[in-house]
Amino acid sequence: MPNPVQSAEAATGDRAEPAPSSTAAAASDLERLRALLLGDERRTLDALDARVDALDRNQSELASRLPAAIEGAQQGEGAARMARALAAPLTHTLGAAVRSNRQIIVDALFPVIGPAIRKAIAEALRNLVADVNRAVESSFTPRGLRWRIQAWRSGVSYAEIVLKHTLKYRIDHVFLIERESGLVLDRESAPHLPDLDADAIAGMLTAIGEFVRDSVGSEGGGTLDAARVGEHLLWVVQGPRANLACFIHGVPPPKLRALLEERLEAIHARLAAGETGTDAAWRSTLRPDALVRDFEMAEPAQAARPSRLPLLLIALAVLALLAWGIARRERNNAWIENLRARLSTHPGFVLTGIDASRNGVTIHGLLDPDADPPEPLLEGDPFARPVRLDATGYVSTDDDVLARRARRLLQAPESVTVTVRSGTLVLGGHAGAAWIDAARERAAWVPGVRAVELGIARDDAAAGARDALRRIAAAMPGRRVAFVRETEPAPESAAVLDAIIADALRAQALGASAGVPVAWIAVGTNDDPGSSVTNARLRADRARWLADALRARGLANVEAVSDDPAAADVRERGAFLRFAGADP
Amino acid sequence: MTAIAHKLCMLGDFGVGKTSLVSRFVHSTFSEKYLTTVGVKVDSREIALPGRAACKLVLWDIAGRSHLDALNMTYLRGASALLLVADGTRERSLNTALELLMQSRSLLPAAEVVLAVNKLDLVEQWEIAPAVLAELRRTLPVHETSARSGEGVEAAFADIAGRLAA
Repeated sequence: MPNPVQSAEAATGDRAEPAPSSTAAAASDLERLRALLLGDERRTLDALDARVDALDRNQSELASRLPAAIEGAQQGEGAARMARALAAPLTHTLGAAVRSNRQIIVDALFPVIGPAIRKAIAEALRNLVADVNRAVESSFTPRGLRWRIQAWRSGVSYAEIVLKHTLKYRIDHVFLIERESGLVLDRESAPHLPDLDADAIAGMLTAIGEFVRDSVGSEGGGTLDAARVGEHLLWVVQGPRANLACFIHGVPPPKLRALLEERLEAIHARLAAGETGTDAAWRSTLRPDALVRDFEMAEPAQAARPSRLPLLLIALAVLALLAWGIARRERNNAWIENLRARLSTHPGFVLTGIDASRNGVTIHGLLDPDADPPEPLLEGDPFARPVRLDATGYVSTDDDVLARRARRLLQAPESVTVTVRSGTLVLGGHAGAAWIDAARERAAWVPGVRAVELGIARDDAAAGARDALRRIAAAMPGRRVAFVRETEPAPESAAVLDAIIADALRAQALGASAGVPVAWIAVGTNDDPGSSVTNARLRADRARWLADALRARGLANVEAVSDDPAAADVRERGAFLRFAGADP
Repeated sequence: MTAIAHKLCMLGDFGVGKTSLVSRFVHSTFSEKYLTTVGVKVDSREIALPGRAACKLVLWDIAGRSHLDALNMTYLRGASALLLVADGTRERSLNTALELLMQSRSLLPAAEVVLAVNKLDLVEQWEIAPAVLAELRRTLPVHETSARSGEGVEAAFADIAGRLAA
């Protein structure tokens, strides 16, 4: 069927230039035809246009109407609905805002979070300071020492022991609950606590316990033994006929549970004996203050009983350690003092300090290069520690060191004697003329020498003096002083004594010229009669008589001997003088 | 004088008004959310009995079920009385209450039992015929209650308390 509109348009399409009046008529017809054919659709379109206009208008007015609408929705029951409706979009909006505009959120929350953080930090610091104070207070007291020993013995950290003893706990409520029905058999509460529905609480505890056991308990029958809510701890001690539920504020010691178990066992013993109701005796054992008191009284006794022997052993060990330490220190000090004394008298060494430690000993001091090395003195450490000498060089004025230095610097030959007396260098013996001349110039420049005494014979003059000295020494034993008896000299002994003293003094002078030290020995003799003891005494007395007589006449270096090999073959009552030492 | 406590379990189908009856009877201690989490809510109230020692009812409001599972059976242990609750506008809830009674009898053969037909305020919509109730009264104490208006509630609980104290 052809479209009437198309047919109408086709019918009018053949005219090229229609007249105005006829054109207007045609348009009117077309409009009528349109209205006739499309009237319903047109009305629908108009209605839709009007609705779109209304929606646009509402949309543009939404911003101004929305606050009032939200305020209206907050009234009455609409508030909860509005809250539920806005919960999800607000959550998402907040999340998006945090992601995209974090700083704005931070700025907005800062006034709220800041005080909260400060409060939390202040609280934590206060607790920390309290803990530190408690720890410091307990560290230097007998109680603190006791806790440390307890921590050491039990292997628990000291902090835990301190916490155990210092944290306060309080039992608020104790419920004795019939296991099967959940009914309260007895209930004890600390004073000044608000009243509560014990039956309902006991019932709910029983129900929750059953629920937990049914939900997560094993086939063996797991039970709800403990639960914590905030600062409160709930302990449930299970029994076959009754349970004991304890509401505790704070941190109780674990051993408190053992006490509760003991109490529940005692109650079951009564139940088994036929008692069904509670009486004052039951209640007295379950009162919170009684439980805490009984536990505090029992706890120290349990802790003290096994501790005596270990403490005694520890004390003995400490004492032994102390004694060993003291003995070791004393031994060390004695050796150090002895070492100090030896080093102080060692020629050419000045002790400035001794450092002794467990790892070794260091000797600090000044050491003259010509002194004997002090190392042999450092031996004998009782602890076999390494001993080190930290010495700095210096010039000593000790006579022995000075003599050694003079001999080294003057290159003295063996025939020259070098001695020092109080800083005075004494050179004796004999030497060549060249060395004597050089020594005369250089001796005074030896460091430490204050004065010089030269007594050195030239080798040519000394030879004659030595020969004369040798002759006197050989002839001297032949001059015998005779005795009538004991030490009474014979009359002719005076002349002999004069001759002896003359030869001895002359020998002294020759010895000085020859550079040979001269000394004499007075020897006593006896004839055959008499015991050996008497004869020995006589020989000693006569030798002493002769020495005294010669000293009285000016001979200094003479010594009396009781027995002398030179007198072995002499059998007469007398005494004689001989040259001391080898052949001059 | 200390009241003797008795455990009373509320049994009935879902929506019959057990919790409402308890709320009407006592000032509830715990939130009703325990019913959906733990499956039970416990309250208590002491009732003075003329001429006798006071009786304390510890009410175990067990979540409404058409049958008792193992957990609910543990909740029943040690109960001295059962309050069966049926909805007068739903005849089927009466059957459920009686089925729950039969199920619990194995565990509680000697427990006192009282039936409360609730929603008396909607009595014109009741499906349970008076003849049925009359027949039930021959074997069970039956109380018509309304948790909404409170009618019959005190009497139902007092009846149980009286039977327990007897």
